Amino acid sequence: MKRLLQSGLGLSLWLSVWLSLWLSPGGIIGVAEANEKLIIEAALDRQIVEPVLAAFAAENPQIDLDYRDRSTLEVDRHARDRDSPPDVVISSAMPWQLALSNEGLAQPLEAPEVDQWPAWAKWRDEVFGFTFEPVVIAYRLELASHMLPPETHRDLLDLLTHYRQWLDGRVVSYSPRDSGVGYTLLQQDARYTPRMWDLIAAMGAANVQLETTTQRMLEGLSDGRYWLGYNLIGSYALLWAQTHPDIIVQVPNDYSLVLMRMVFVHRDAPHPAAAKRFVSFLLSRRGQHILAGQTPLFSVRDDVVGPYTAQRLRDQVGDHLYPIPINATLLAFVDSLRRQAFLRRWDREIQILSE
Amino acid sequence: MISPHTSLKRRLTLWLIVIVAGLGTLLLIEAYTSARKAADRAMDGQLQAASLTIAESLQWPEGKPTLEMPASALQILATRWQERVFYWLQADNGLSITRNAELPITAAMQEKARHQPVYLDAVYDGQPIRLSGREVDSAGWDTQEPVQLWVGHTRRGRDLLAQELFRKSATRFAAMVLITAALVAIAMRTMLAPLRRLRQALRDRRADDISPLRLGVPQEMQELIETLNRLFADQRHHRDALLRFIADASHQLKTPLAGLQSTSELALTRRDPDAWYQALTTVHDSAERTSRLAGQMLSLTRLQHLGLGHERQPLALDQLMQEVAIDWADRQDSRDHDLGLAIEVTTPAWIEGERWALQELLNNLIDNACRYTPSGSEITLLLTNDNADGDAERVVLAIEDNGPGVDTESLARLTQPFERGRRQDTHGSGLGLAIADSIALRHGSQLKVSTCVPHGLRISLTLPRCEPSEESET
Repeated sequence: MKRLLQSGLGLSLWLSVWLSLWLSPGGIIGVAEANEKLIIEAALDRQIVEPVLAAFAAENPQIDLDYRDRSTLEVDRHARDRDSPPDVVISSAMPWQLALSNEGLAQPLEAPEVDQWPAWAKWRDEVFGFTFEPVVIAYRLELASHMLPPETHRDLLDLLTHYRQWLDGRVVSYSPRDSGVGYTLLQQDARYTPRMWDLIAAMGAANVQLETTTQRMLEGLSDGRYWLGYNLIGSYALLWAQTHPDIIVQVPNDYSLVLMRMVFVHRDAPHPAAAKRFVSFLLSRRGQHILAGQTPLFSVRDDVVGPYTAQRLRDQVGDHLYPIPINATLLAFVDSLRRQAFLRRWDREIQILSE
Repeated sequence: MISPHTSLKRRLTLWLIVIVAGLGTLLLIEAYTSARKAADRAMDGQLQAASLTIAESLQWPEGKPTLEMPASALQILATRWQERVFYWLQADNGLSITRNAELPITAAMQEKARHQPVYLDAVYDGQPIRLSGREVDSAGWDTQEPVQLWVGHTRRGRDLLAQELFRKSATRFAAMVLITAALVAIAMRTMLAPLRRLRQALRDRRADDISPLRLGVPQEMQELIETLNRLFADQRHHRDALLRFIADASHQLKTPLAGLQSTSELALTRRDPDAWYQALTTVHDSAERTSRLAGQMLSLTRLQHLGLGHERQPLALDQLMQEVAIDWADRQDSRDHDLGLAIEVTTPAWIEGERWALQELLNNLIDNACRYTPSGSEITLLLTNDNADGDAERVVLAIEDNGPGVDTESLARLTQPFERGRRQDTHGSGLGLAIADSIALRHGSQLKVSTCVPHGLRISLTLPRCEPSEESET
């Protein structure tokens, strides 16, 4: 009789646990994955994306987020790690992300969000560009007292030519060799105009300083080490400028590249269900709404309203935004031969005026 | 599979389904392969374009091949279906120049690509892919190494394209089947219309109508109509024979009855008991004959009505003949005749037969011979082998007399009822041979009537021997 009572008690306990899980927002799937880990390898500052992560964590308390913030090339290396693959890979090094998909390391996502996602911002339903970040020029406020601040690429070239002595060692940009983003931006610049190489030569003559992250460029600008930065990621720069009024962010008026962070679920994701839920959340209206309202990453979706949306950016800076296209052309950038050739030329051009 | 009762419509439908299913499978297989081929042809063009674009970008600074991978080539290769794209560029010395995948390219494939561009199916990374290889070389001031360029992509677009093409073919085929089915249904109704007309015509006939059918029907059914008409003709003959028999029988019965009437009328006018006695004797004789006649008519009718005998049993024919001959030797009717029995076969001669019927046959034949031959004639019952065929498996039962015989014209008609070979001088019923013939028919044989030399009549029938009965042996 006692045993019977005990088992009855156990059953009711079990039932109530089961019911509460069933009724939780995670639904029945949550039961199977209770206290599951989710490993995200990301080239995206945690500080910036924190509101989105927090919202996801609030909705899925059973998932332990393991967010690993790294540089683009490190993220690429970890994504290729066969022994301990991550669940989700986020990077702004778009060619590398596309190459990973092309190598079959991404798995397609089936979700209503995927069908609604604009075709120009996804590839094979595997990789998704979920942000819309303009590439900008940033300079110290003092610069304006010495010269007309640059608004276009041509202005920049003129400044570098006319104020070379003055700007010597005070110009900063991405290292194409050490940063995937920097390399991608320069490749894309060179695709749009061959005069890009004149700019590189002029920067070389001004002893351009090379950094690997936008963050370090911004720090250098605030420190006063640098006066002028080229090809900074707009999302970081805009956030920085909010708290550092001495830094001016300029979206180039002639043309402005737009970088998209690309995300995919790893083929060998150890926690695929959680990974898919996370990416679906990023693409969902709610995720994008947080992105547009609480981060400077700019939402891609047209149906999201907030201070940071692609639509609003277009309205503000006009129609000279050129998103780096998400398609197979990106694969050419990661071709080793082409990369070597590009870097060789870059090396040549950067010192062509110094000699 | 098809029982004889299955309706024609069902048979036709079944055949149609079998044919359509068979042909359909073949057609669909063909449609599938050709859809794949068409998709491959269309998409191989993309491979070629990408391959040529890359080949165009190849350069040989200082005689060494190098390449700035053209972005557009990869976009062409990816197609609008966003395939995974692969390329592989190898120098003549076997060293890889650049590649983005370790494609499964064998030495045989390389050898093939050496002469002309090739397109091949392969499997990479567990996925079927399509590859195109070509060899590129170029003239220049220095000697230039040729390079092999392979490009490839996954098959998603090809599969989708092939599926679409196949779906179209399958839809066309399904529409064709539906139209065919409708047409066949109409055709079937049309084709089966003559059958319906025939059924209607037969149903509308009166039961006693045996006139030939006159119906416009297709050639195939004409035979059926002819058969039916032949059947009707047989029926007509049969009925005519029946009517004739009834007429003859009435006539035969009428004569003795008329005699009875006139004899009795005459006697009634007299007061003389002697005359009455005489008249009564005549009446008695006549009544006896009439009764016998009626009996024979009954037995003939019964024989014909019974149809083929199915109660045959093995019996020794020679013994039966012996019994009958002994029986007749004691009778009044045969005392003026010399009745003989000749068994010229190995005895016992087993045959399958109905004892009562064969007895009747023999009685009729002997009675007949006694009646139509003058006193003192020889009558012989014979049992011989069927010598005409040299066949000991069959025996011939015959009766011969040396009476006046019958003229050749009447021979064939002798077995008809009430034929007496033009003889009106006897008290025979005229049914004896007809009955005998019916019995012969029941035993699968036929009476043969012929004349003897120098004069007389021979009537015979042939019967097959059979295995002796086990009961008789024990």
